[in-house]
Amino acid sequence: MSALYELSDIVQRYDGREVLCLPQLSIAAGSIVGLAGPNGGGKSTLLRLLAFLEFPVAGEVRYRGQATRGREFALRGEVTCFPQEPYLLKRSVRANVGYGLALRGATDIRERVDAALAQVGLDPARFAGRSWRQLSGGEVKRVALAARLALRPAVLLLDEPTANLDRDSAELVRRAVLSAREAHGATLVISGHDQPWLRAICDDILWLADGRLAGPAANPGPSGAVSDNTTFAGNSGRQS
Amino acid sequence: MNYLVDGLRQALLLLAQGDAATFSAVWTTLAVTFEAMAATLVCGVPAGFFLGYATFPGKRAARLLVETFLSFPTVVIGLVVYAFLSRRGPLGEWGLLFTVPGMAVGLTILGLPIVIALTAQAVENLDPRLRPTLLTLGAKPRHVFWATLSEARFGILLATTAAFGRIVSEIGISMMLGGNIKWDTRTITTAIALETGKGEFATGIALGLVLMGIAFLVNLAAAVCRRRQAA
Repeated sequence: MSALYELSDIVQRYDGREVLCLPQLSIAAGSIVGLAGPNGGGKSTLLRLLAFLEFPVAGEVRYRGQATRGREFALRGEVTCFPQEPYLLKRSVRANVGYGLALRGATDIRERVDAALAQVGLDPARFAGRSWRQLSGGEVKRVALAARLALRPAVLLLDEPTANLDRDSAELVRRAVLSAREAHGATLVISGHDQPWLRAICDDILWLADGRLAGPAANPGPSGAVSDNTTFAGNSGRQS
Repeated sequence: MNYLVDGLRQALLLLAQGDAATFSAVWTTLAVTFEAMAATLVCGVPAGFFLGYATFPGKRAARLLVETFLSFPTVVIGLVVYAFLSRRGPLGEWGLLFTVPGMAVGLTILGLPIVIALTAQAVENLDPRLRPTLLTLGAKPRHVFWATLSEARFGILLATTAAFGRIVSEIGISMMLGGNIKWDTRTITTAIALETGKGEFATGIALGLVLMGIAFLVNLAAAVCRRRQAA
């Protein structure tokens, strides 16, 4: 399986403090990669790099074998990110889910919005016309996820998608994100603390602590150790 | 007390009969307010957006300057604009003094700091998650601009109504730059001041009622807009 992302010698700092240091990491196209680890371990930072929302202070992120700097607006057309605390625009549910589709000039927005809402377990007839303020916290998360699924992205990055969701909603999210790979071959990178949930969905799981891929001794993760300078290749397993 | 009731009765009669002088002042007020509001919004909203959104050297000083202008005495604005528009002034050859566009220039200067400051505040107060959300959904810079404006629309609406209230009820600038010329540059506020000085309470009350009616309608329209957009 070919590498979709190749990260090399990555260093990211905020206010001079190093928050991420990855000598090497690659993610295979079509894989589902989990990111586990303690709070502040660098999971969200890594997701922001993969989403091209920011660039590292050192090192390079390559996507489909090509450099990414200066191409972020084009690349975000196929890579989308579901944040830890999603934000809805002050519009209706339909307008929120259809926003990205409208930017892409899609002509079948209504159908795709309805399908995406159904995918996350929200009845379009009941929810599409609702205002952003008429949703519960869990519904906001599901609408935000529907907005990403509707885009049929090549890469879907999810930052703790099941945080604060009940078990049924977490299961709905699991099915929805799995369908993104099954239906459109999307590559998924998912961070989270719910390790059983991650184990149930991911081909492999990386353990990030203190901004580094943790070594075997420090790795209480579910799927074994990952050495600090390991190349990761998604569902093809880890390769030294 | 009777003269107040009589004044109100006569005022209603003037309005019902469509008194030409009264309605001339109303139309002049609407014309000058429309021109000033258009210029204020066209210049003020983008400037306020930039001030609230962008980071640049001197931003705090710019913000302080705009906030200082919020409390600038209107008579001084009138005086400065008068100096520029008068025949001996640098813009004297434009012939704007004692005209509706000339009054609109002064009222625009009055409204601009209000719109800039409140728009900047509305943009600054937006949720910090907005920008990354838009970017991850594939928005390009121009989409981010329009969507951010849209998210700040309640604040911009508030800025618009605040500026409208200030402009429509202004008297010092209108008097100095318009000259209170009957059938031409006499506005509701300058007419009220003049008629009250002459003891013509009926006309003053009639114009006051119209002014309050206009302010009420504009605020009602803003409230309806806000309610619809929030739904």
